[in-house]
Amino acid sequence: MNPMIRKELRQRMRERRGWILPSLYLLALCAIISFVYYEQASETRGMQQGWQFGVELFLTLAYSQLALLLLMAPIFSAGALTIEKEQRTLPGLLTSLLGPVQIWWGKFAASLMFILLLLVIGMPVLSAVFAFGGVGPWEIGIAALTTVVILGTISAISLYWSSTFRRSVHATAVSYVTVVLMTVVTLIIFAIAMSRTHAVGGWHAIPAMVKAPLYLNPLFFLTTALVPKNQLYPEWFECLGAFVAVALLCAGLTLRNLRRSGDVA
Amino acid sequence: MIEVSQIQKRYGGSRALDGFSLHVEKGELFGLVGPNGAGKTTLIKILSTLIRADSGSAKIAGFDVAVDPLAVKSVVGYMPDQPGLYQDMRVREFLEFFADAFRIPSQRRSAVVDQGLADSGLAARAESFVEELSFGMKQRLFLAKTLLHSPRVLLLDEPATGLDPLARVDLRDQLKRLNQQGITILLSSHILADLQEICSRVALIAEGKNQQDAAGNSVIELRSADSSLPRLYEVGVLQDGERAAQFAGTFTGVKVMDVEPSRIVVEISGEPAQAAEFLRHLVTGGVQVVRFDRPPATLEQRYREVFGEKPR
Repeated sequence: MNPMIRKELRQRMRERRGWILPSLYLLALCAIISFVYYEQASETRGMQQGWQFGVELFLTLAYSQLALLLLMAPIFSAGALTIEKEQRTLPGLLTSLLGPVQIWWGKFAASLMFILLLLVIGMPVLSAVFAFGGVGPWEIGIAALTTVVILGTISAISLYWSSTFRRSVHATAVSYVTVVLMTVVTLIIFAIAMSRTHAVGGWHAIPAMVKAPLYLNPLFFLTTALVPKNQLYPEWFECLGAFVAVALLCAGLTLRNLRRSGDVA
Repeated sequence: MIEVSQIQKRYGGSRALDGFSLHVEKGELFGLVGPNGAGKTTLIKILSTLIRADSGSAKIAGFDVAVDPLAVKSVVGYMPDQPGLYQDMRVREFLEFFADAFRIPSQRRSAVVDQGLADSGLAARAESFVEELSFGMKQRLFLAKTLLHSPRVLLLDEPATGLDPLARVDLRDQLKRLNQQGITILLSSHILADLQEICSRVALIAEGKNQQDAAGNSVIELRSADSSLPRLYEVGVLQDGERAAQFAGTFTGVKVMDVEPSRIVVEISGEPAQAAEFLRHLVTGGVQVVRFDRPPATLEQRYREVFGEKPR
């Protein structure tokens, strides 16, 4: 096992947020499922089919889970390298036999593992939808995979900011700005572009240039996953390509920064 | 063991290193001294592979730091002026992590860590969190971490910064011991008394360049193993320094360097016994000798001669 991963996990689990954040996350998911259940139950008064209720609950939980994790992901990764600069521990790492790739991978994997931990502990809550039908393991699996890819990309972006800035507070702030840019600003750009386009004939008639910002939108990416299996192509795959490309670009830039970081270390 | 040639490093408009050269022999404890901003830290960072030089070459144990940084890292231990430690790790965990990071085989790792704990005197604190240690203990822990992979060369940048006097003495003794074990040490320090006591030679650096003392030396010999090299002696006389100097000059192998009314400074070549013979020559020749000693040519004096009296 990469020594960085072991060190990172040990340190993260010793921090207070190591148990506070998972607890808050679970409480939030439980609150959401309770709220939706009672809202739906009181509104429909038994008029809605069980499977329809299951689908609605699943969709609400999938988007809520993504929103919560988008808020949490920068906390785990934006400070990962800046903390080494703040504690002056980076020279020790850089002069050991650990290469920049191992350092980056250790930080990235530890961040992602913590997010996976949150996803796993949220599974029992999410599986409540099975009680109502309408949602199967495929839907849950593809939604979870998509969420992991999105959060992996956000972690890679946050790590890049962490390698760029000297202080955790700056890296975290810019990481949140990036999350807002990807989730909100891309939607606004798409809406503005759509208002100037007079495309008729549905989604496929919209020019690629107009749709382009959406391929970097986490909510849109998740939406493309929540379709029947045979409709994943092309949107889901295009989003996947866009997110993986951004993550790889950020990883490359982070490695470049790490190789140059002896000057600031 | 350490070979630096015409190394240059620029930060924006300012030159941190401007053609500095250095040669450190295997097994030496070599000092690096100069005012603030002289380029000492930049040089040590280049040697430890943290930064790359713009031009020139630097080799450690035959490995070029720019071409083969991994090989350099495997033979070098680097200790910065403010050692960074993971405060939320236990002492043993900290050493285990770096033993792993230096790819010490798992079957040897535990023994190496135990040895490091014993050598640093931290065995009793192995399960303490790093944040609970005193500053001196933290410095010892970092040195133990630096030595985990048995480096052949130690690069130390102001290691005594912030240490109390006893911890400083302790560090000095540790460095002497490590040097006696055959580890080559390049030590940058502002504490001239420490350098004077433990280093065999000291290089002078300012504005990124080699600096020379009045005699034209860019490296000051503090302890020469070669007993045949000329040595300076100060002779205190009761009166008539001029006559004493003339008489002293008649002795073979003696060169008069300085003359004052009650003091002359001479350079005596040959074996140390020559000095005793020279003293006998003076006394039997009627020179009224009141003092015969090596002049207090301390590193501090040499430093003042080269860099001036005022802080830079």
